[in-house]
Amino acid sequence: MFKAIVSADTLKDALDSVSVLVDECKIRLNEEEFAIRAVDPANVGMVDLSLAAAAFESYEADGGVIGVNLGRLEDIAGMANSGDLIHLELNEETRKLHIQIDGLSYTLALIDPDSIRQEPDIPDLDLSAEIVLEGSQLSRGITAADMVSDHIALRVDPDEEAFYIEAEGDTDDVDLKLDSDDLIDLTAGAADSLFSLDYLKDMNKAIPKAAEVTTELGEEFPVKLHYEFAEGLGQVTYMLAPRIQSE
Amino acid sequence: MRLSEFIEIEKNERAERRRLAGEKSYEILDRLDGVGDQFADISGGDAVGSVSPSIFVGRSGYPNVSTGLLSPVGNESDAGQFVTDGAWYEEGVSIGDVFERRTSLLNASQTTPVETNVHDTWEGFLGVQREVALADRPIGIEVGLNGTPELDLANSVDEVSAPTGPRARANDATLTENPHVPRPVKKTLEDDDWRAGGAMNYLYNRGFDVYEINTILSAGALGQQANRRLVPTRWSITAVDDTVGQYLRGKQRNATSVDTVSVWHNEYLGNSFWIILAPGQWEFELVEFKAPGSVWNPDPAAGIWLASDYEGREGRSGYVEETAGAYYAARLAVLEYLDSIGRQAKALVLRHVSDDYWGPVGVWQVREAIRHAFDGDHAESETFDDAVTGIAEQLPVSSADLQRKSTLAAGRQTGLDIFK
Repeated sequence: MFKAIVSADTLKDALDSVSVLVDECKIRLNEEEFAIRAVDPANVGMVDLSLAAAAFESYEADGGVIGVNLGRLEDIAGMANSGDLIHLELNEETRKLHIQIDGLSYTLALIDPDSIRQEPDIPDLDLSAEIVLEGSQLSRGITAADMVSDHIALRVDPDEEAFYIEAEGDTDDVDLKLDSDDLIDLTAGAADSLFSLDYLKDMNKAIPKAAEVTTELGEEFPVKLHYEFAEGLGQVTYMLAPRIQSE
Repeated sequence: MRLSEFIEIEKNERAERRRLAGEKSYEILDRLDGVGDQFADISGGDAVGSVSPSIFVGRSGYPNVSTGLLSPVGNESDAGQFVTDGAWYEEGVSIGDVFERRTSLLNASQTTPVETNVHDTWEGFLGVQREVALADRPIGIEVGLNGTPELDLANSVDEVSAPTGPRARANDATLTENPHVPRPVKKTLEDDDWRAGGAMNYLYNRGFDVYEINTILSAGALGQQANRRLVPTRWSITAVDDTVGQYLRGKQRNATSVDTVSVWHNEYLGNSFWIILAPGQWEFELVEFKAPGSVWNPDPAAGIWLASDYEGREGRSGYVEETAGAYYAARLAVLEYLDSIGRQAKALVLRHVSDDYWGPVGVWQVREAIRHAFDGDHAESETFDDAVTGIAEQLPVSSADLQRKSTLAAGRQTGLDIFK
């Protein structure tokens, strides 16, 4: 059983954060929250999303799992104006999701959840540095790095207590230094890892510019990017595997 | 004072390359002068009897393409050796040989709008051209020429297809013998619901090499009926390398990875190739170093010219930006080797083009040199970085510069699974 009413903006924000990595996913309709965990086919980027029942205007669910084509669902959600409410109701018999937006009614065929890639386990990582910054600062570093390279280094210098976003291109370099005055918070430990900009750019698209992004970083280790949306009732954690120089 | 100090004079790149090809070897100029003599007896209005081992579809003037029958007039008995294919490598032909062979082919051509649907064209000049493309050996033809053969070297300086010979306008052409068409080619010809990609892979799996397949594709004899068009030779070469490459890549998607870092090497026609294969999921990159004075970097005072293109596990969504057809030819050769051992790998191909490479012979040279690199011995390395550092000693750039240019040298993509 699943029946919910949610603001279009909240649903779009939730779906966008997942669709940057995968085309289809399983949605867990738990009693207390709406949850998605997915990893891209190359096993490089992962997203873990939860949206508490309180983020919905109304929410009733009993722990079912549905499989959806995200592009399709986003298209439908795109029919709603900002501020519109979206009504969702699962028909258990037909295994279809009924969606209503201001008189518009759409019946979405679902995908057998067993045919969708298994949800990943979240690696238990011991990351030495934690940087809390604004989404806009991260975005600025990523945009500049993208002008010169297809990969980006994220680094913490514990002596200087500074976080660096760096890129080396064929001829040009980009370097954004953020020290503890620029950052919301910094737990400095030695950390330096290289990442594909293709992935990071996609994740960055979904991260609200005004959000506080908690970045956990290690030495040639995956990075964790955590932020909240829907007034703190929605949580997203991205994890991205590094490009490594050793080995 | 020079005018160029006041106004920007647009350099004609083709003219520059042509000048270079001339400067580097007097032999080729002699040879090219000789071409005129060789065909001096031929003039407009003549009917020329010869054999045709292959065809050429030129892209200049697109969407009107020049579609031609190639004939080694005067050398009919060994017509087969004039066809570009892997046998040239086995034979060890030199750059001079390539120019000599290709410029000994008379290109009797007509102009055809590329949108012409040729699915049922068996008559006239285009019909003869199709028969030649489909046949598995040179066939006898007679062409009626409208003009005198003229050498068009600009058309020859092309890094994808081999150089072309003198061109003459043709009025008509007829076959003087019945062509022999292999059974699988008949099958792909007759099935006009079959998409071109699938038909290309079918032929490849039946033992046809990419050279034969691109000739057939070029004549518009593959694919769904509505899509059967002439394809310029240059594009057909890359299309076949890419299509067969993607097919082989698909087969390896779930293959076990190689378990050591291996380095392979080969040299051919002034080009050195190093291939590093390393454990992990598929990634591929071609990095090219073009020495000053080589064909695409003609200014002897210029620095080394670096170019690279890369793809990750999901492949590319667009055409490469810097390395053109060489990328697809190199990728195919690497994928063929991985297919033969049933593994996947991360592959970095480094190509050093020295100033001995004075004339572009076509990407068959890249494809065959890399295919044959895997026939030779290889070295093993502890790590990918060690392999890169070792090879960099033999390259004209430092390993730091290489890391700046190369995505793979900078870092290899890991998966989240190894961090559990």
